[in-house]
Amino acid sequence: MRIIEMKNVRKDYPLGETTVSALKGVDFSVDEGDLLSVVGPSGSGKTTLLNIIGCIDKPSSGEVDIAGQNITLLDDNALTDLRLYTVGFIFQTFNLIPVLDVLENVEFPLLLMKENAPSKKEIKERAEHLLAEVGLTAQLHQRPAELSGGQRQRVAIARALVTNPKIVLADEPTANLDSDTGHKILELMRKLNEEHKTTFVFSTHDPDVLQYARHVVKIRDGLIVEDAPILERKRSKTGAKSKK
Amino acid sequence: MKIAFVIALRNLMRHKGKSFVIGAILFMGALIMTLGNAVISGMNRGLSENIVERFTGHVVVISEAQESANILFIPMGKDIALIKDFAKVQKVLSEQTYLASYLPAARGFSFVLTEEGDVDFAMLLGVDFPEYNKMFRENVKLVEGKLLDKQERGMLISQNRRVRFFNDQNIWVKPIGFPLDEKNFSDEAKKYREKMIVKDSLVLMGASGDSTASDVRTDIKGIMRYEFLDDYWKFFNILDIETFRECFQWVTNADAAANLSKDTKNLIAREENLDALFNDSTVVAAKSGKAEISTSLKKLKDKSSVAKPNTDAGAYNVVFVKLKESGKIQERVKDLNAAFKAAGAPARAVTWQAAIGQLGDMAGIIRGALTGFVLFIFFVAVIIIMNTLSMAALERTAELGMMRAVGAPKRFVTVMFLIETASLAVIFGGLGILVGAASVPILKAMHITADNNILQLLFGGKTFAPYLGVTDILVGVIELVLVTGFASVYPIVVAQRITPLDAISRD
Repeated sequence: MRIIEMKNVRKDYPLGETTVSALKGVDFSVDEGDLLSVVGPSGSGKTTLLNIIGCIDKPSSGEVDIAGQNITLLDDNALTDLRLYTVGFIFQTFNLIPVLDVLENVEFPLLLMKENAPSKKEIKERAEHLLAEVGLTAQLHQRPAELSGGQRQRVAIARALVTNPKIVLADEPTANLDSDTGHKILELMRKLNEEHKTTFVFSTHDPDVLQYARHVVKIRDGLIVEDAPILERKRSKTGAKSKK
Repeated sequence: MKIAFVIALRNLMRHKGKSFVIGAILFMGALIMTLGNAVISGMNRGLSENIVERFTGHVVVISEAQESANILFIPMGKDIALIKDFAKVQKVLSEQTYLASYLPAARGFSFVLTEEGDVDFAMLLGVDFPEYNKMFRENVKLVEGKLLDKQERGMLISQNRRVRFFNDQNIWVKPIGFPLDEKNFSDEAKKYREKMIVKDSLVLMGASGDSTASDVRTDIKGIMRYEFLDDYWKFFNILDIETFRECFQWVTNADAAANLSKDTKNLIAREENLDALFNDSTVVAAKSGKAEISTSLKKLKDKSSVAKPNTDAGAYNVVFVKLKESGKIQERVKDLNAAFKAAGAPARAVTWQAAIGQLGDMAGIIRGALTGFVLFIFFVAVIIIMNTLSMAALERTAELGMMRAVGAPKRFVTVMFLIETASLAVIFGGLGILVGAASVPILKAMHITADNNILQLLFGGKTFAPYLGVTDILVGVIELVLVTGFASVYPIVVAQRITPLDAISRD
C-alpha cells in the first residue's frame, strides 16, 4: 500500500529576480513499512523533498499524497494534525526541548493530542518503553544538555515514534554524529522499522549509510535519477545481517 | 496545556537574565504607575477635600443669565448676574432630597475708599458667616480679632489682603476693639512702621456695571486666613450679607432688583414712600443711598431673619451646594437644571470645577500631565517588553519551529508565550504594585509640604498626600494587564509566524 505518493512535484524559490528550482518535477512513491533512503549531494533537493513529505513545506506545483491525504489541499491546522498523528520527525540537530527532561521530551507529542489522547499513565508507559528500546532508561530525567549527541538523537527517535506514526522522516540523522554512533543510530532505526512496521524515510549524502536502507532514491539537481529497491545488503560494520 | 505551563515556567528560569530584565521593567512600570495613580488620586481627593468641602461645595448655582460658569476666578470687576426670583430657586433646592446642604451667597468686587484719597479694591464674599463656616468645615481661621457672629455686621479681611493694603497704601488694618498686634506685622510693615496708617474700618463701594453702588463704612471684625489652599482663596474677604447688599445696592429680593416696574421706579423717586416698597416680594435697586433705605433694610432683614434663620430669601448671585453623594456631581447638575427648568426658576447649576475656572483648569492640566506621565511609562514599558520578547521569540526559532514540526498548534505557542509574560507580570508587576502600595503611606507620613501654588494643586493641599484606594489598585492591575497584553501581542505574532521550516533552516 502506498503511504507516500508524489506526482510531478516542483518546488521553486524566488531568489531576487530569478527563481531557483529545488525540485523540478518529482514522481516518486513509497510503500508502507519501507525503509527508504534519499541520497544525493548537498543542494540536490533531498531536504526539500523530506520537508514536503513531512508537511512542513508545500510544493509549488504537483500533487503529494501522505497517508491518503492530498496535502496541497490542507490548511495549516490540518497539516499540524497530520504532523502530530501521522508523521514523526528526526532532525539533523536533534532539536529537543531544552527545558524538558528526556522522558518529557518523548511525552511531548502525546501531550499535544486532542483526539484519541492517551491517558497520563499510558503516555508515561509508552515513552518509557520507547526510551528503553533506544537504550536510555538510565537517562529518563536528564536534560538534553546533559546527553551526548548520540543519546540526544536516540531521544529524538523515541519522540518521533511515540505517537505510532505511519511515517518517520529523518533528515541526515547521522550528520552531526561520529561514525560509530551514526551506525548505531541507523541500526536502531532499521530495528524499529522491522519491529513497528513504521515507514522510515531518511536522507543522507553518506554512501555508507545506504546499507541500512531497503529502498534508495537518488536525487540530483532536483530530479530523481534512480529509484530502486536494494535486494541484497551487506552486513553492517556492527554486524547487522544482510536481508532480502 | 499543562505542558505549556511547564515549558513556559522552566523557560523563564532558564533565561534568568532576560526574565529579570523584563521583570525589572514590569516592576518599575507597575511601581511608577501605582505611585502615579496614588498621586492623581491623592490630588483629586485633596482638591475635592480642600475646594469642594471647604469652599465651593460640589455644585454651584448661578443665575441663568450668567454667561460664564466661572464665577469665582474671573477677572476682577466683572459682574456676576444676580439670581432673579431666588425664592423659586430656593424652593427647588429645598425639594431636592439628594442635597446635603446649600448656602446662598454673594460674590463681588468692591472699591476700597480711604480718607487719604487712594482707591484700592477687595474681592468680597457676602455670606451668613456662621452658616458659611459651618458648611465649609471651619475653613476660615482667625488670625486676629474675632469671627463674625450670626447677623453681625462687619468684615473679615484676609491676612494676605492686609499685607497688600499696606504695601499699596501704607494702611495696616486691624480688628476694631483689638490692640495692634505687632507680631503679625509683615516684613514690609516692620520696615516702614513709622509710615503706617492704622485703620479698623474701611469704606467699601461695590463695583458693578449693572446696578448702582453706595459707599458703606464697614468695621473690620477680624483678620483671617483660609486653612487650606489659602494661596488661592486669599483674595476673598468675607463680609456679612446685608452689608454686601448695601454696598452693591441690592436692597432685597432678586427678581425685583432686576425687573423693576415703572410704578416701582416712580415710587423710588418719592422718598416718603420708600418704606412702602419693602414687603416680602419686592426688591429695589435704589438710585441713592438714603438713610430711609437703610432703615427699611434693617426692618426687612430683622423680619426675614426671624422667619428663616438659616437662609434668606433675598438677593444672591451664587448658591454653594453640597451633595449627599459626591460621586454623582454631573448627574446631580443635570437633575438640578431639570428641576429649575420645570419650576421656572431662573437659575442653572454648574459643577464646582466649572465654577472655579482657571483654578480647575490648572488642576486639570496638572492631572492631565500626571496621567500623561503614567501613560508614557506605560508606553515605554510596552515597547521595551515587546522588543525583548520579540527578540526572545526569534532566538527560540529552532525550539518553537520544532514544536510546530512535531504537531504543536499555533495556539500552543500563543498560550506558552502568554503564560511566560503573565507569570512575569504577576510576580514582578504584582511586586511593583505591592511596593507602590506600601510606599504610599510612607510618603504620606513624610509630610512633604508644598511651597508654591502649583505644588499645592499637585498635592491637593499643603502636604503631599498620595492616596491609594481599592479602585486605584484595580486600575494599577488593569494597567499591568494591558501592558502585558499589548507587549505580548507582537512577540506572539512573531512566534506564531515561526514555521517548522524556519527551525530546519536554522540547522
